[in-house]
Amino acid sequence: MNVPDDLRYTSDHEWARAEEGGLRIGITDYAQDALGDIVFVQLPEPGAHVSAGDSFAEVESTKSVSDIYAPVSGTVGEVNHELTDSPQRLNEDPYGEGWLCVIVPDESGPVESLLDAEGYMKLIES
Amino acid sequence: MIDPVEPSLRRSPLDAAHRVLGAKMVPFGGWEMPLSYAGGTLTEHMACREDAVVFDVSHLGTVRVEGAGSRDLLQRTFTNDLAKVEPGRAQYTHLLDDTDASVLDDIIVWWTDDESFDVMPNASNTARVRAALEGHGRDVTAERAIIAVQGPNARARLAAVVPEAAAVGRFRVTRFEWNGIVGVAAGTGYTGEDGVECALPGAHAVAFWETLLGTGIRPAGLGARDTLRLEAALPLHGHELGPGITPLQAGLSWVVSWTKPGGFRGREALERERDRGVSRLLAGLATEGRQPPRGGADVLHSGKRVGEVTSGNFSPVLGHGIALAFLPPDLTVGTGVEIDLRGRPVPATVVALPFVKKKG
Repeated sequence: MNVPDDLRYTSDHEWARAEEGGLRIGITDYAQDALGDIVFVQLPEPGAHVSAGDSFAEVESTKSVSDIYAPVSGTVGEVNHELTDSPQRLNEDPYGEGWLCVIVPDESGPVESLLDAEGYMKLIES
Repeated sequence: MIDPVEPSLRRSPLDAAHRVLGAKMVPFGGWEMPLSYAGGTLTEHMACREDAVVFDVSHLGTVRVEGAGSRDLLQRTFTNDLAKVEPGRAQYTHLLDDTDASVLDDIIVWWTDDESFDVMPNASNTARVRAALEGHGRDVTAERAIIAVQGPNARARLAAVVPEAAAVGRFRVTRFEWNGIVGVAAGTGYTGEDGVECALPGAHAVAFWETLLGTGIRPAGLGARDTLRLEAALPLHGHELGPGITPLQAGLSWVVSWTKPGGFRGREALERERDRGVSRLLAGLATEGRQPPRGGADVLHSGKRVGEVTSGNFSPVLGHGIALAFLPPDLTVGTGVEIDLRGRPVPATVVALPFVKKKG
């Protein structure tokens, strides 16, 4: 499983990348593999406020629906509209073209509370 | 995400071969079977529609009924009429509940010889079907593997391995010989495509499977099997058939013979429903978007709940959502409804079945 060193992770299998202007969010390689072929993504509304741990998006494969939980509290910024017609990008490139959205956190430095690559690797291997 | 697998699950003779191919294994009807292989469900689905795939369907039951009186026993137990066919043919039929005509199982019967039948129930219904056959059938499920080759090129691919099996007609059954062993081939399947199902001794299954893969046929798992049968509007027991569901409600009256002498188990109850008319009918629904409708979702018409989705998914061929649902019979093709998907009403239209027809 691919677990890039430069990202932060949640125990619900989302990743977060700190960028100028917010946190870019997606689902991990482990998550996309477990879900199987993804055929539909319900994206969050730009401008919506989300609290850490809230279900704020859905990803559906041919076999199941999975909630996506907000890794941090904040406001939804940009969303990846490409996923509406090409949800398979979540399978093909989960850390790149398969990103879900950007969240502008309410407070600075929230990624410190998330798992680092080593911690996430331990989680999925256990 | 993926349920841990229970140790008590049965395994196919091909189990190790699936694991070598990197299959995701899942519990299904008391067995542990491949959900998909490395390429994933959508790739496997399209390969079956456009070329050919091979499925391990060893989890289907085989109850062998042999000897004098076998034909009569099947005639009074199941709904279809064996007088319509002959030895060397396969027939789809139902086992009904005696009191309410619910479909206890849907079955393919391979009529292999004069008084010899391989009755093939769904995996989890094998014991129930044996009981209905008054204990006369022998459960030979553990002795054999069944390998299904399906798709427009299925016969051409299979012909390179075993021409006798590849030549079997649609809904016909024949014995074949391969590498000194004897198997049975039937022109049956569960994908809406042409194809052949081959039963052979379990000990030789891996060699046969690997020879087929060697011709370039892609293996496919239960995930693709389900999306393929849904596009073809083939019922799945536990969804479109089961407790409280009769063959008439499922739109399968052709499976029922009203005229065969002696009738069949459940006939009186089914006759009562026929005479008063069905209160609901299995129908097809199509949505515009990609979101998969799911079994259990409510169907709304003019704001009122009128029915329930039994199976739904994203159709890889059509590129939008499709669903089977029980609806009032007056909601005919073209009627607009809504499907409640996790609290969001999604517009849908009643459409003719099957959703996807075989090419040519």
